[in-house]
Amino acid sequence: MSQTDTAETRTNRTESQSVSTTTGETVEETQAEWTTYEGGGETKLAVDDLDVHYGSDHALKGVSMDIPEESVTALIGPSGCGKSTFLRCLNRMNDRIRAASVDGTVTLDGENIYQDGVDLVELRKRVGMVFQSPNPFPKSIRENVSYGPRKHGDIETGLLARLTGRADPGREEALVEQSLERAALWEEVRDRLDDNALGLSGGQQQRLCIARCLAVDPDVILMDEPASALDPIATSKIEDLIEDLAEDYTVVVVTHSMQQAARVSDQTAVFLTGGELVEYDDTEKIFENPESQRVEDYISGKFG
Amino acid sequence: MSRVTQTALVRDDRTLYEAAAGLAVGLSGVAFVTGLAALLNIVAIDDPVAGLELSVLFGVVLLGLGATTVGFGVASRFDYVETGAQPSAGIVAAAAFTAIWLAVGAAVSGAAGLGTVGQLGVGVFLGAAAFATTAFPREDIGSTMPAGAVAVLCGLALVTGVVGPGWEQALAGYNATLFGDTVVPAVVLFASLVTGWSAAKAYGGFGARGRNVGAYVLTYLVVGSILAVLVGLVAFVTVRGLPGLFNGFSVGGAGLLSWPFLTNGAGLLADIAGVFPALLGTVWLVIGAVLFAVPTGVGAAVFLSEYAEQGRFTGAVEVATNGLWSTPSIVFGLFGAAFLIPRFGNQKSLIAGMLTLGFMLLPLVLITSREAILAVPDEYRDASAALGVSKWQTIRSVVLPAAIPGVTTGVILGVGRIAGETAPILLTMGGGVLPAKSAAPNVLGGFQLSASPPFVSNPALLEATSALPYQLYALITAGLSGNIQNPQEYAWGLALTLLLVVLVFYAIGIGTRYYFRRKLHQ
Ligand SMILES: Nc1ncnc2c1ncn2[C@@H]1O[C@H](COP(=O)(O)OP(=O)(O)OP(=O)(O)O)[C@@H](O)[C@H]1O
Ligand SMILES: [Mg+2]
Repeated sequence: MSQTDTAETRTNRTESQSVSTTTGETVEETQAEWTTYEGGGETKLAVDDLDVHYGSDHALKGVSMDIPEESVTALIGPSGCGKSTFLRCLNRMNDRIRAASVDGTVTLDGENIYQDGVDLVELRKRVGMVFQSPNPFPKSIRENVSYGPRKHGDIETGLLARLTGRADPGREEALVEQSLERAALWEEVRDRLDDNALGLSGGQQQRLCIARCLAVDPDVILMDEPASALDPIATSKIEDLIEDLAEDYTVVVVTHSMQQAARVSDQTAVFLTGGELVEYDDTEKIFENPESQRVEDYISGKFG
Repeated sequence: MSRVTQTALVRDDRTLYEAAAGLAVGLSGVAFVTGLAALLNIVAIDDPVAGLELSVLFGVVLLGLGATTVGFGVASRFDYVETGAQPSAGIVAAAAFTAIWLAVGAAVSGAAGLGTVGQLGVGVFLGAAAFATTAFPREDIGSTMPAGAVAVLCGLALVTGVVGPGWEQALAGYNATLFGDTVVPAVVLFASLVTGWSAAKAYGGFGARGRNVGAYVLTYLVVGSILAVLVGLVAFVTVRGLPGLFNGFSVGGAGLLSWPFLTNGAGLLADIAGVFPALLGTVWLVIGAVLFAVPTGVGAAVFLSEYAEQGRFTGAVEVATNGLWSTPSIVFGLFGAAFLIPRFGNQKSLIAGMLTLGFMLLPLVLITSREAILAVPDEYRDASAALGVSKWQTIRSVVLPAAIPGVTTGVILGVGRIAGETAPILLTMGGGVLPAKSAAPNVLGGFQLSASPPFVSNPALLEATSALPYQLYALITAGLSGNIQNPQEYAWGLALTLLLVVLVFYAIGIGTRYYFRRKLHQ
């Protein structure tokens, strides 16, 4: 039984490989088109021929795209097509998944983050991430927000710092307020900053995680469905935030809402089932005049 | 009471039925509690109550309960009241009543002088009959008839005095005798449990709701009795220990506490012999063992669950730690005696005892810490890593705080075990049977600095020291000597002190755990 299974998967894989080689030319043509796509400005992150396997499961297939700085890039596609997987490649969170193996290169400001000797702690300070499901620490709201800066030594608390006069509670307060404000959560929690974050609602937790990420002040912010548990008002606040952020940061956002992608993003990448990047272009172009029939079908809801 | 499907069918007699069943449950509960009190010798079964001997009164109550229980079943079966009875009481109830009646049959026929074959025959016959009665008729009959009959039988035995205060039965082959004051309460406990369950089912109108109420009453009575036994045990030691513990206790005019039992030694000079040296010995012993075992155990747990590759190595360590935790304490004691004592001045010493008990505590701290660390959700680790925080900082600021309540639970359990250990102390720490106050370890004041390595020394740690369980053991084996006025009282006071010391350590541990849990979840 298991033998036939593996045999099957093996033939499947060779088949899919042969398919990709037979259609190789067309693929390369379109790829050529994508790489010439330059988006808004300088390339912040350049992804080249990225493959991800989970064990024998091929989750991302030869993805290449350039993400321009100080802009919003939306990733859309049906569930299970590899959007989160792709996002995790950009700050190497996939390294933490045992089964995952990544091939290809991702360069951040011209440096390959997949070469030997990359300091993952530094990388993740520069490429922050908001997860698909909210995951606040079992600490107070204040401690959640100031966690990153504290651990990086940007804010000093604790006895020693207080004794030597290096502690600056005002700075912490300001940072907490500013981060929560930007994440549209300040008004709701200003009176209970010392309460445990696990007591917040799902949507509040989601915004808290955004605030926690902002407090670290990364260059690139990866957001995996940041508005999935939010009501329309909070969603629109988050969308405003994303647009604001794009003035200083590079934002990559996964979303299931076409409208959201159309509203907030400068460019959109469409992944389709099987882990391929089918089309990547200016958001307007994707939604009004996509190259590929499959993308058009997906956007108009004919195909999931 | 919401009974949606039956609302239209509610009649007056239904409430009467319910009230009667409720009363029967209550009466069963009272009988159960009184039986428990009799078992613990709080009341005597030959005390006269309302003109009757208590055991006869028990019999009357059981007869009444048995009869009404049967009545509940019959009333329901012949539709005097509407209930939700199902077609059968079920295979579990049937099996239980089979076992009960098999035992009852064997016991009664044995008492009647039938031989083994006869006993077996009667037991099997009654068991089969009980099975048939429980399994085949409708639920209301099946769960009341066998139960009621048990109670009636027990009640008859008590009322007629077949089993009563003067009853005794030598157990062949056991070299022991059963007396009435044990058997009567046991019979009452058992019969009232059965009728309580049965009447509770009737109260719930049989069916799903009846089973629910039945299970509820059954679990409450059983849990209650276990708690009662535990409380009884503590109460027993407390009652016997209090006179010794408070011997000479006084609160002086200036609010000064004088508690000679806890502050005196047992030397010739002391008016009232006390347990101070051993008390202090136990306290230091536990503190030393915890100080040794908690950092090492938690450190090892962090390494094993956060850094080591999960695989054969960690598996082997796990098996080894589990094995160590179940290793008998005398083996640890031998290790201490053979390995530690030669290294600490070749004599029994406080530090040898601390380390030995620390080694004993280590595996449990390691096991529970490991489990607590593994139970911390990976999301916390991912979230921290994604913020650019290093692994060690993540462990220190997220993983360990989330694991503290679990670690504390392990330490609480472990301290309970080591504080009462005698064998390892016997081999490694020694100390006198009746140490004088001067023999108390002066650990805090004992530190001395010196100019040559190891620069710090503490003679108090290197001296043989007594501890409460060891002193208790030594007192008992040495035969209580005449040096102290009331050796019995002294020994019980000592036992109570040990119990209190363990409880205080528990309280500290539980307080710590509560504090950290609150911090995590509130
Ligand atoms: N940790 C993992 N181990 C094994 N396979 C995984 C793992 N994470 C994802 N996958 C697989 O990789 C594929 C892509 O998953 P991914 O989570 O990236 O999808 P997604 O596009 O984010 O979907 P969704 O919109 O539902 O979040 C799926 O087939 C999934 O089963
Ligand atoms: Mg996803």
